[in-house]
Amino acid sequence: MTAAIDVDARSLRRIARNHRLNRWDVRFSPYLYISPFFILFALVGLFPLLYTAWVSVHDWNLIGGQGDFVGIDNYVTVLSQPYFWTSLRNTFSIFLFSSVPQVLLAMGIAAFLDYNLRAKTLWRMGVLLPYVVAPVAVALIFSNLFGDRFGLINELLGGIGIDAIRWHVDVIPSHLAIATMVNFRWTGYTTLIFLAAMQAIPRDYYEAAIIDGANRLRTFWSITVPLLRPVIIFVIITSTIGGLQIFDEPRMFDQAGQGGANRQWQTLTLYIYELGWGQRNFGRASAVAWLLFLVIIVIAILNFVITRRIAGSTERRIRTKGKR
Amino acid sequence: MKKKQQGGGHDRRPGFWVYGILIAVLFGSAFPIWWSFLIGSQDAAAINKSGINWIPGGNFLANAATVIDTVPFWTALMNSIIVSSSVALSVVVFSTLAGYAFAKLKFRGREGLLIFVIATMAVPTQLGIVPLFIVMSRLGWTGSLWAVIAPAMVTAFGVFWMTQYLRDALPDELIEAVRMDGASMIGSFWHVGLPAARPAAAMLALFTFIATWTNFFWPFIVLDPGNPTLPVALQQLQAAHYVDYSLVLSGVVLSIIPLVLVFIFLGKQLVAGIMQGAVKG
Amino acid sequence: MKRFPRTKMAAVVAGAASIALITTGCSAGTDSGSSAGGDVTLTVATFNEFGYDDLFAKYEEANPNVTIKHKKAATSNEARDNLTTRLAAGSGLSDVEAIEVDWLPELLQYSNQFIDLASADVDGRWLDWKEKAATDADGRLIGYGTDIGPEAVCYRSDLFEAAGLPTDRAEVADMLGTSWDSYYAAGEKFASAGTNVPWFDSAGATWQGVVNQLENAYEENDGTVIATENPEVREAYDDVLDASSTLSAHLSQWSDDWTASFQNDGFATMLCPGWMLGVISGNADGVAGWDIADTFPGGGGNWGGSYLTVPTQSKHQEEAQKLAAWLTAPEQQLSAFASKGTFPSQIDALASDELLGATNEFFNNAPTGEILANRAAAVSVTPFKGAKYFAINDAMQQAITRVEDGLMSADESWAQFETDVKSLG
Repeated sequence: MTAAIDVDARSLRRIARNHRLNRWDVRFSPYLYISPFFILFALVGLFPLLYTAWVSVHDWNLIGGQGDFVGIDNYVTVLSQPYFWTSLRNTFSIFLFSSVPQVLLAMGIAAFLDYNLRAKTLWRMGVLLPYVVAPVAVALIFSNLFGDRFGLINELLGGIGIDAIRWHVDVIPSHLAIATMVNFRWTGYTTLIFLAAMQAIPRDYYEAAIIDGANRLRTFWSITVPLLRPVIIFVIITSTIGGLQIFDEPRMFDQAGQGGANRQWQTLTLYIYELGWGQRNFGRASAVAWLLFLVIIVIAILNFVITRRIAGSTERRIRTKGKR
Repeated sequence: MKKKQQGGGHDRRPGFWVYGILIAVLFGSAFPIWWSFLIGSQDAAAINKSGINWIPGGNFLANAATVIDTVPFWTALMNSIIVSSSVALSVVVFSTLAGYAFAKLKFRGREGLLIFVIATMAVPTQLGIVPLFIVMSRLGWTGSLWAVIAPAMVTAFGVFWMTQYLRDALPDELIEAVRMDGASMIGSFWHVGLPAARPAAAMLALFTFIATWTNFFWPFIVLDPGNPTLPVALQQLQAAHYVDYSLVLSGVVLSIIPLVLVFIFLGKQLVAGIMQGAVKG
Repeated sequence: MKRFPRTKMAAVVAGAASIALITTGCSAGTDSGSSAGGDVTLTVATFNEFGYDDLFAKYEEANPNVTIKHKKAATSNEARDNLTTRLAAGSGLSDVEAIEVDWLPELLQYSNQFIDLASADVDGRWLDWKEKAATDADGRLIGYGTDIGPEAVCYRSDLFEAAGLPTDRAEVADMLGTSWDSYYAAGEKFASAGTNVPWFDSAGATWQGVVNQLENAYEENDGTVIATENPEVREAYDDVLDASSTLSAHLSQWSDDWTASFQNDGFATMLCPGWMLGVISGNADGVAGWDIADTFPGGGGNWGGSYLTVPTQSKHQEEAQKLAAWLTAPEQQLSAFASKGTFPSQIDALASDELLGATNEFFNNAPTGEILANRAAAVSVTPFKGAKYFAINDAMQQAITRVEDGLMSADESWAQFETDVKSLG
């Protein structure tokens, strides 16, 4: 008798315990699963960013380490440096040269890939090939192609009677050369994103237009492009964050890696490197890093606002079109 | 592939001119690689003379041997493999876990935390290099591969990607069913979540691998010249052979080969991955 | 996505993962290491051309337990960046690090990061000033001198001939004269012959010749920066740029175009310290006509020259010091001179017949040993180089390049130089 009661009580207790365990399991497991991400991100993402702010208000030497607290001195100094503004200009200029033509080019290529081609996958793979070439390698190849006096591109230009362009001296040409490297590597990738979006457009839209007598070019401009707008925005947003931090290509563009004698193609990240590791001034390097961080955040917010507005309006337009 | 009802209205076979244009595009994407082989197969004297030699020279293997001699090529290759695989593995594991939780489990703060993850995708973590360098120096990790692997172990994008995928790919009923059978939380993740996540996880691994493989900035700062990854070794090659582009570009060719091999075998999956990601994103 | 070949991908991931697990363990630490048998691997970091390749093989042969790994940077800037970064990181330096005289001063403030190399064996080995420059305030010797850079003028006799100028090196020396004015005047004469080849490679290189003749160009002996107020500097700056406007090829040194121009008749003359001979013969491989004249504008001049140091980071300090001492011994430095023209800084080497009798086949069998020895004897000024010398000179080089490239006028570029110097803080 007593034994049986005992057993019952024990199993009851076990059930209760299991139940409790189970409740904990349900309640805490999700946090357990997401915690590695948050802990690691805090350690290697968030903490360094905040610590950058700390370093930026100190005298801080690469070798000598932390010095005195100097308040906003580093920011003041950096903002009064012409090279800071040059770098800011270059960063945006290179970004524009690499994003606008890339979007246009990718959209065009995608339109062709959208035809009912033979061996579709092969063509798609073909445009993606440059994506697997590391930026450093791309930069080495193109620095050679863009040689000022003995490069292939100038030689070809000379062949059609155009004077040699000083790719490593003049501002705009150097930006074009660097943007070409970026475009070479990423256009295929972007093309495939557009292609996917194009294929998702219901074909009734086209049929309606063709019945109305529109030709192919016309349908591309009046149907495809407007419908791709959200994707275009998406592409530009994703390229902003990386594009504004561009380092590899300008660094490898010449031997010295400082972005030219007049900093013609020095970008902000390159400037951070020069301040931190060339002049060994970690305080100023951190100040520039924080300023760039703010720039990127502002742009991200702008992006967000614009995207919402445009995405909203496009959706409305598609809906009204669909009704017709 | 058969459901061609959506293809932009172009369902007739296109004319030759379309192929012509596409061939030109392909030429553009392959030419620079071909060019680096062209230069890499000649010698210094030949390429510095004016006039372009369009026929590959016979010097590629000799150049490659010199390259392997000048920079620690095999170490760099091995390091790139180690770093890229470790990072890919770690990103996939942590992203799948977190993505599963965000997509399929209910807990307080879920929405807020997910928005936080998405917001951090816009945070340029690369800008933390100064403190990262300070920390790595203090830890004595500079020069070791850990210094490159540790900061890359999680990405917000990975979590976002897995969350998106699992939301659609894994029916809630399935999880409930295994839970009914008495599986613990981790058990149901293991038996249902993980198998469902596999295709997206593989894709994430592939893209993370390539991104890590081609990464330069941070490894360049924190690794030693004697123990580099491939892009860092390439930079050294440019430095060591300022004299000679044939050597530099033959090194470029050598460094490209591994990923081109990956591309040949998995390029189709890469294409599919980008296109699927685009539709979702 | 559903049709993804699972097995293939799973295999790739699993394979990659297992490689990672196996290998991270053993390669997490750098293995510049030693093993039980007393075998050591020594890493040596140099830049430009030190002429050590054959010597390493020789040393390895004589010391079978030693393996040497050579890391070579293109420019001294590159080597400097790498050195300071690894110094800051506290790891990753080579066992033997080469340091150039221009940035040696800025490292002297961290001299405790390098071992004291002074020993009875090497006492009195070097020219006095060479050794003094590498001695810190506490009297510790942190670097063994390798070479010095007495400067001569290298020229293309074939181009001279085409322009109707003398080609014989004694006559050329006479024609070039001993002042900057006479050197530039010869250039004008060359240009007027209509060969369409510029006289020298770049204003920046010419600047190096000029600035190394100024005793306190950028800094007073107490370290006060005077670069922007010193009238000598501004005067020299204007002179060089004046000359460059008509005579320069505007090819900044070490750039791709500069390198390629050696194969394309880029310029007719070039200031050449001993270590430059190896650079020229390497770049101009196959080009006939290079020669060297026993003169230098503005008197003598020394450009560059280096040291070998052993960082305290090295795990094989003793072996590293032994190697550095051996490499910088007169015999070895003579052999480096024979292969790449790096001119020795060791007293015994300077007096040796081997040096004085040395000729260089590439330079039309010129008696380079004797010429450079004469050039070394002509050096009368030891320029003071302080902690900021390198950074200021780098800014100056960029200022000159800006004008050469036509990006700015000399005045604008000078103003920018002033800002740059100020920002060095």
